[in-house]
Amino acid sequence: MDMKSAITRARRGLREERRLYIVAVTSLAVAFLCLGATLLGVTNLDAAATRWGQSGRITLFLKDDADPQDIAQLRVVLEGLSDVNEVTHVTPEQARASFLEEADVGADLSSLPSEVFPASLEVTLVQGVTRERSESIATRLAQFRAVSDVESYRSWFQKLDHLLWGARMLALGLALLVMFCVVAVIGNTIRLAVARRRQEIEVMKLCGATNGFVRGPFVLEGMFQGFASALLAVLALLAGYLALHESVDSTLAALTGSRVVFLGAWTLLALLAGGAVIGAIGSAVSVRRYLSV
Amino acid sequence: MQGTKVVRPFPFFRAGARASQPQLSKPILVLEDVYKFFRPDQPTLRGVGLSVERGEFLFITGPSGAGKSTLLKLIYRELGVDEGRVLFCGRDIGRLTDKSIPFLRRNLGIVFQDFRIIDHWTVFENVAVALEILSMPQRLIRSRVAEALERVGLAGRGPERTSNLSGGEKQRVAVARAIVPEPALILADEPTGNLDPHLAIDILTLFEEINSTGTTVLFATHDHSLISKRDHRLIAIDEGRVVEAQQGLKHWPGSGIHTLVG
Ligand SMILES: Nc1ncnc2c1ncn2[C@@H]1O[C@H](COP(=O)(O)OP(=O)(O)OP(=O)(O)O)[C@@H](O)[C@H]1O
Ligand SMILES: [Mg+2]
Repeated sequence: MDMKSAITRARRGLREERRLYIVAVTSLAVAFLCLGATLLGVTNLDAAATRWGQSGRITLFLKDDADPQDIAQLRVVLEGLSDVNEVTHVTPEQARASFLEEADVGADLSSLPSEVFPASLEVTLVQGVTRERSESIATRLAQFRAVSDVESYRSWFQKLDHLLWGARMLALGLALLVMFCVVAVIGNTIRLAVARRRQEIEVMKLCGATNGFVRGPFVLEGMFQGFASALLAVLALLAGYLALHESVDSTLAALTGSRVVFLGAWTLLALLAGGAVIGAIGSAVSVRRYLSV
Repeated sequence: MQGTKVVRPFPFFRAGARASQPQLSKPILVLEDVYKFFRPDQPTLRGVGLSVERGEFLFITGPSGAGKSTLLKLIYRELGVDEGRVLFCGRDIGRLTDKSIPFLRRNLGIVFQDFRIIDHWTVFENVAVALEILSMPQRLIRSRVAEALERVGLAGRGPERTSNLSGGEKQRVAVARAIVPEPALILADEPTGNLDPHLAIDILTLFEEINSTGTTVLFATHDHSLISKRDHRLIAIDEGRVVEAQQGLKHWPGSGIHTLVG
C-alpha cells in the first residue's frame, strides 16, 4: 500500500468529516480524562506510600512500672542500631498534652489523668529502610522487658496498600472501559464515514483499488482520532495540574510532607500510543465489517 | 519514488502495443456458453457466446431488463458467471480470486449512465484517482491527466469543481477517468442514457475516437437512433441469448428488430 497516498487521502477525510470527528474526539477525550485523572491519583498515592514507607516510624509503648534503667538501656540499644535515626522519650504528660492539642475537644476531656496515656519511645528510622526491615526491628524490640506494646503502623500500611490496590484496579477497569469506548465510538464514526464515502469507495473499486488502498485512510483516520483524544485529555489534565498543584501542594505538604506529582513519561507515552493503537484497531475492525471490498 | 513504477501484476492483461504477438492475434474477450441466474428457474443469460476482437467497437443492445448491464458486470467481475467461461486476454476471469479482481479492473475502463463522478472533487481529482490507485508518482499523474482531459475536450478544466459541470461535461470527466490508465478494453453501460440526443452523439464520437487509437470498446445502449447512425458491429441480448447483426441495425436480419425498435 502506498503510505503517502493513504496519508493524503486520510487528511482529506479528516477535513471533510471534521464535524463528525470532533464530536468523537471530544467525547473520547472525556473518557481519557477520567482514566488520566485516576492514573494521576494512583501515581500520587503510590508516591506517598513509597515516601511514608521509607520514612519509617516505630512507637514503643512502655510499661507503667518500667524500670528507668531498662528504659535507658533500651535507648542505648536503639541508638546503636544503624537503621535508627532518632529516639524521643514521650512522657505521659507530653502524650496527654499532644493528644488534647490534636484532638481539639472540650473541657471534659482535659480532666483526663495523664496515667491514661502510656509513656513511649518514638523511634524514627533512617530514610530508605524497607517496611520488612522495620517490621523485623519492631518484633525484636517487643522482647524488651520495659516494652508493653509495639506499634509499627503495619495495619495502617496495610490499609494504604488496600487503598492503592483499589485505586489500581479502578484504573485498570477504567482503562478497559476506555478501550471499549474508543473501539466503539471510533468504530461507529468510521462506519458513518464509510457510508458517506460510499460513492468514492465504489469509484476506487471500479478503477481497481485494492482493499488495502481503500481501507488505509480510514485506519489512519481512526488512529488519529484515538491519538487526538488522548492528547486532548493529557493537555486538559496538565492544565488542571498546573492550575491546582500549588494550592494542593501546600495543604498536602502540611498534612503529609509530600508533594503532588504529574504522570510519568512512560504513563503519558502509554496513554498517547495506546490511544493511537486502539483507535487504529477500532477503525480497522469497523472497516473490515462495513467495507467488504 | 523514482521512475514510473506502476503496479501491474498481470502484464498479461496489458493493452495493444505491449502485448505479445500471439496475444494480439487472439480475441481480447471471449464468452463461452455463459449462464447467469438471479432466479433458479429463469436465467438472465442463457448460453451466451461472444467473441470480441482487439480494437473492435461493439454495440450491445436489447430491451430494458434483457441483461446488458449484467453482461458487462460479468466482465468486470462485479458478478461471477454461474456456468460457462469469460476469457479476457485468454484468461478465465471467473476463476480470479477476490484479491486479483482489482488487477483485472486496472485493465478496464468503465463508464456508466449516471457518470459516477465525485461532486465535491475537482475534475483533476476525479480523473487522477484512476492513477493514484496504481501508486503512480504525482508528476506523471499530472501530465497523464492533462493529456486525458485534452482527449475528452476538457483541456485546462482540471481545477474546476465537478458539481458545476453540465451532464455532458460530467460524462466526459468519467470517460477521461476510464481512459487515463490506458486500458485495453472500455465498458460503457448506457453512457448516453442521461444525455440529450445531441450530446449523445458527441459522447459516442468520443468513444469512437478512443477506439480509433486501438482501444476495444463495448458500448451498451438501447438508443436505436444512436445505433442506426453508425455501422459498428451490433449484438442484441434477447431472452437471455446473444443475437448478432454484423452490419448494424439498418441491416438487421432477425425478427427481433421490431420488438427492439418498437
Ligand atoms: N443483483 C441482482 N439480483 C437480482 N436480479 C437482478 C440483479 N441484477 C439484475 N437482475 C435482473 O436481471 C435482469 C437483467 O438486468 P440488467 O440490469 O442486466 O438489464 P439491462 O439490460 O441492463 O436493462 P436496462 O436497459 O434497463 O439497464 C433484470 O430482470 C434484473 O431484474
Ligand atoms: Mg442496464
